[in-house]
Amino acid sequence: MQPLEPLQNFLPQVWFFILGLFLFLYVLLDGFDLGVGILSLTAKGEERRSILMTSLGNVWDANETWLVLMGGSLFGAFPLAYATILNALYLPLVLMVVGLILRAVSFEFRENAENKTIWNITFGVGSFLAALGQGFALGTVFEGIKVDELGHFAGGIWDWLTWHSVVVALTLIQGYVLIGSTYLILKTTGELQKTHYRTATIATWTTLAGAVFITVTTPILWDHARDLLFSRPLVYVFAAIPVLGLALIVALLRSLKLRQENAPIIYTFLIFSLSFVGLGFLIFPNIIPPSVTIYQAAAAPSSLVFMLTFVGFLIPIVLGYNVYNYIVFRGKIVVKEEVSLSGN
Amino acid sequence: MLNVLSDTVTLSRLQFALTAIFHMLWPVLTTGMAIYLVIVEALWLKTRNVTYYHHARFWTKLYVLNFGIGVASGLPMAFQFGLNWAPFSESVGDFLGTLLGFEGTMAFMLEASFLGIMVFGWERVPPLVHFLSTVLVAIGANLSTFWILTANSWLQTPAGGIFADGKFIVQDYFQAITNPFMLNSFLHMFLATLETALFVIGGISAWYLIKKRETEFFSRSFKLVLVVLIAVAPLQIFLGHLSAEQVYHYQPTKLAAMEALWETVPANTPADWSVLALPNNKLEKNSWELKVPGVLSYLLELKPTLDTPIQGLKAWAPNDRPKMVGMVYYSFRIMIAIGMFFAALMGITVLQWWRGKLTTEVVSENKWLLLSWVFAGPLGYIAVECGWIVRCVGRQPWIVYGELRTVESASDLPPGVILFSLSGLMLMYAIFFLMTLYFGRKILQKGPNLTLPAPRTLAQPTLVTEPAQHIPDQRPAEASQS
Repeated sequence: MQPLEPLQNFLPQVWFFILGLFLFLYVLLDGFDLGVGILSLTAKGEERRSILMTSLGNVWDANETWLVLMGGSLFGAFPLAYATILNALYLPLVLMVVGLILRAVSFEFRENAENKTIWNITFGVGSFLAALGQGFALGTVFEGIKVDELGHFAGGIWDWLTWHSVVVALTLIQGYVLIGSTYLILKTTGELQKTHYRTATIATWTTLAGAVFITVTTPILWDHARDLLFSRPLVYVFAAIPVLGLALIVALLRSLKLRQENAPIIYTFLIFSLSFVGLGFLIFPNIIPPSVTIYQAAAAPSSLVFMLTFVGFLIPIVLGYNVYNYIVFRGKIVVKEEVSLSGN
Repeated sequence: MLNVLSDTVTLSRLQFALTAIFHMLWPVLTTGMAIYLVIVEALWLKTRNVTYYHHARFWTKLYVLNFGIGVASGLPMAFQFGLNWAPFSESVGDFLGTLLGFEGTMAFMLEASFLGIMVFGWERVPPLVHFLSTVLVAIGANLSTFWILTANSWLQTPAGGIFADGKFIVQDYFQAITNPFMLNSFLHMFLATLETALFVIGGISAWYLIKKRETEFFSRSFKLVLVVLIAVAPLQIFLGHLSAEQVYHYQPTKLAAMEALWETVPANTPADWSVLALPNNKLEKNSWELKVPGVLSYLLELKPTLDTPIQGLKAWAPNDRPKMVGMVYYSFRIMIAIGMFFAALMGITVLQWWRGKLTTEVVSENKWLLLSWVFAGPLGYIAVECGWIVRCVGRQPWIVYGELRTVESASDLPPGVILFSLSGLMLMYAIFFLMTLYFGRKILQKGPNLTLPAPRTLAQPTLVTEPAQHIPDQRPAEASQS
């Protein structure tokens, strides 16, 4: 068995990385999607809301699909984690699913409805609920999930709800609003764009406040996090992340002040990436924090290899046509005067 | 009834069954309709007859309405295995999870990404790229049928590995994927979505023809549907028959429930086919029954007497066989009746066509025939739902046939929590169902836009996949998808 050991460690690590990639793409892409949805609750006027929803029309579907991809792959690669985590997060994930459903149907129903108000509201509220559910799930990552010796969920149905997870959830919502605002800066012009320079600036500050709070409280509240954070050589990584993060925040605020159009979303993406890397280091090598490792929860090596052959081959292709989709629909949203010409 | 509301397993089953039943309504239509859209767009590119372009645009509107809700209503499906069936997920995740991962990467993503171009991209990409997008959307949709049916077939006829300590260990992936039910079940479902969509399109076309609205436009779709159905309707009956034969070989408890057969029929005797019955679970017999002598032996083995005996339900202990015999029995018969009706309707309509009664001038005079088509419109959905009830209720008490019991597979959640999510989801789905009907009706009342000019991109002589200069996003903010 000795020669197999590196492989048995390597495969779960690869899948941990792939799942991280899916989750990361989901958070970035559906992040701006959900952010725009939450912002639509504050948008004044039907025309503005229309532009907001049009900016997502061709992408929301694919963006949401990253989550389904992540769910399916987690099921295949780490069945134990899929079972335990979903079991533990029953209520927040139902909340998220309900939110995602509400916003998805709003796209189709609003399109055909004469009275659009109700679908505007379901779209915004759905986006908010989805973000909230995800925020509580993220909060649980810090908190950890109570498991028995077999790795099965052993906690209560309300374990995910603590004052700390509320703060994490609110911070994530701020982050989504930030990323949504910078997306709208990219896609719109004029007054609407101006509005979102403002929302982006506000969201930067609120996200920063939440992030600082989480960064400070995490090592104070949890021993396992403290031990990990201050162990060498990881301490250098964890020291670098806040420094880089602050630098990026400064750059972001500056680009917003200078009314740059492309830079804000890039800086925001980088800030998200950085937080994501930090989170990855915090969790690894666990998959059910704080105690079940990827090696314990992984499917059989043959499963991981089999799935990797196909999924690994497909990832570049999937990324390729997603990029193509964005290229086809690049540029600003323009409101057409004569709607009747093409909208029959 | 109160027992049901306080039993975790029953509530989890109910939630899975109802979300699946509701969810299916939307993708069943869009998966089949995607193929129809490929056909009309191919005709448009080939003939450059703008009518086909208008067909593509008109039916796409219904497609999009159903697609979005299909995606949304499917989300609980993707998570429910873990949420409500954690022990099951852990036990079979090595294999089943892999398939769901494949479905996501191969099918869903393809469909979702190219849908944007298919719906909004008419003016933004060259015609061939647009056509390719439509084809990829159709491939994506049908690939997900493939993976879901592969996964479900494996639950029916597990293969390719062993269960050790309650966990499934895969030994041969190829064997597990090509499990006995896989090919037949996939083809049966593939044709089911196609046939459902065709009868929806045919029914809608017939409705317009009765109203004498856009007669030329809709007699075209009507005939197009008919041409495809000449192959699909009879083939579907044949595939259904093959599926039932497979059940006979691999799932004797299910066959007994499908036929409400309580007593074993020994070898070398004729088996009767039951047309109608009142199954009684308590007395373990049918309180009343109408049978045709000897037909079942012909159906199963094409012989007057059986070579292998058909086991009756009483051959198993009550805990080892399906409980809801009546539901399985009637669902099976309703499905068959609809399949037969579809084939007959297709046959009669082809006959009328052959007799020259379907020309644009006189097609509207076939009142009864067209009314039958309108009636047939929603029947495909009912047949599909019934088929799945036979398949999955008939599989009970097993979640993995013969290996893993449903009662051992549910997450240990407080019943109240499941009741909460169950009622919330049901309320939403019921509203969406009504809303789809309402908005679908609106789209139909508005009718196709026959003045829509062909896309400008058609004038471009060469194929450029990457537009050379910057084109602003000119989707109109309102009514942007048409």
